[in-house]
Amino acid sequence: MPIGLQAPPSLGVPGKKRWAMVIDLRRCIGCMACVCADKAEFDVPLGVWRTVVKVKNTGAFPNTKRHFMPRLCNHCDNPPCVRNCPTEATYKHEDGFVLQRYERCIACRTCIAACPYNARHVLPNNRDHVKIGGVVDKCTFCNHRVEKGLVPACVQTCLGRSRIFGDLNDPNSEVSRLVATHSTVVLKPGKGTQPQVYYIKPDRGLTEQAYSEPVSYAAKADARAFYRHNRSSKFFSGVL
Amino acid sequence: MFEYMSLNIAPWGYEITIYFFLIGMAAMTFVYASAPAVYGNLFGGAARSAMEPFQTTGMILSLILLLICGPLLIADLGQPGRFLYPILYFHWTSPLSWGSLFLPLFGLCIVGYLFALATKRTSWLKPIGILGSLLALAMPLYTGLDLMVQQARELWSNPTIPVLFVILSVSSGTALVAVVLRISGKMTEQAVELLHWFLYLAVAVTFALFLAEWVVLNYGSAEKQQIWSIINSEYGWEYWGLTFLIGIVAPLILVAIPKLGRNANLLTLAAVLSAVGAYSFRAVLIYAGQLGQLYY
Repeated sequence: MPIGLQAPPSLGVPGKKRWAMVIDLRRCIGCMACVCADKAEFDVPLGVWRTVVKVKNTGAFPNTKRHFMPRLCNHCDNPPCVRNCPTEATYKHEDGFVLQRYERCIACRTCIAACPYNARHVLPNNRDHVKIGGVVDKCTFCNHRVEKGLVPACVQTCLGRSRIFGDLNDPNSEVSRLVATHSTVVLKPGKGTQPQVYYIKPDRGLTEQAYSEPVSYAAKADARAFYRHNRSSKFFSGVL
Repeated sequence: MFEYMSLNIAPWGYEITIYFFLIGMAAMTFVYASAPAVYGNLFGGAARSAMEPFQTTGMILSLILLLICGPLLIADLGQPGRFLYPILYFHWTSPLSWGSLFLPLFGLCIVGYLFALATKRTSWLKPIGILGSLLALAMPLYTGLDLMVQQARELWSNPTIPVLFVILSVSSGTALVAVVLRISGKMTEQAVELLHWFLYLAVAVTFALFLAEWVVLNYGSAEKQQIWSIINSEYGWEYWGLTFLIGIVAPLILVAIPKLGRNANLLTLAAVLSAVGAYSFRAVLIYAGQLGQLYY
């Protein structure tokens, strides 16, 4: 078992479940329904996301293409966030979920820094409906739904059936079949996190470790706004 | 929803940088203040003669810095009321848990040392000083480790970071001691010699580590190249101006020239400049390290 976890990885362990997601990028149309479903399911506040669909434009007119890249917590088998949490607030569930104990989290944000996938955020204190605040939150693979035999909200709502969820340890599950029969990739495999979100047919530019300056006007404007916002120029940086 | 905007915000800001700076300063101040008891016979007895008058003042300063650091760190948490949780739910793989444990122990050593000084229990000074010095070393070391273990951040995931933070704490601690000794008129020749030696070592090693960082970022992976670009575009002044020119090159020139470096005023100036560099170097590493993200 990798050090610092509370449950050993269950991938390939007989009699155990290993929940995973396959995202077929050939089917994603960038409708953002998954983002909305997730926002609705968890009352996710403005400015933070449990899941996003990244949009990237490539090429030059008239040979252009728009790529969509759904992103969420990868529920890694060797999650650095779990290892680095000082209070064991974030932990590895025996079925593969990486979950958060809100009552234990101190919001030191070490897990946010540790996550290679930018899948974590801080919940503000002043929320309307859900009273959980001042702690770090993340995608849970909708474990509350999965335990009742349902699929995650983003999978339920995906118009193109781009997101497919299931038990990788079950050879008859759709995710097992897709992973076995298609060429899939995971994000940042070099980080050793053993992520469990598999992508089918991503464009090379979306997943490879290649740095390029933002090119399009929109991307440049995004980059400027992002760096301006994240320069840590404010005291008590307003994480809440 | 384009390439950058849906990134969740940078987790660590000014509070963490100031905390890292002050805790390093407190640690090195403790080492200087406890030097007469711990390292009295080293450097030809210079530590004893130079730092004897500084013991109580140094310990009080170290305690004051610690009393600023603790609340600053707690206030930075999203749940300040749970500040004891890293000790209560201790997670041995997290450097932050170790830091939370060492921080109050370091405070206890300072109080214990002051108590021993006040009650003239001289036999207590050496053991408390040794234990406190080890905990003082742990302070900048754990802050560096806190960054080093973040395998996702290539600027941080680097074994030189804890070493760099220890060295930067030597610079900032030396600056505080030099300023206090200068103001109080206790800057003796031995004190100048001792501080000059430590500052020279600290700035020279910082210079070497700065160059190493520069080479690694330029010859490194795509993410490192991205961070290099971010450092130059977003933190150019802080990195090249405040850190390199003001914080490393200027004090290095001052301490490297024997006549200048052994002048009490110029030595104090060099120490203060190196402390400025120690702060801005940490600040750039912490902020820029969080911004390097590919695939987004």
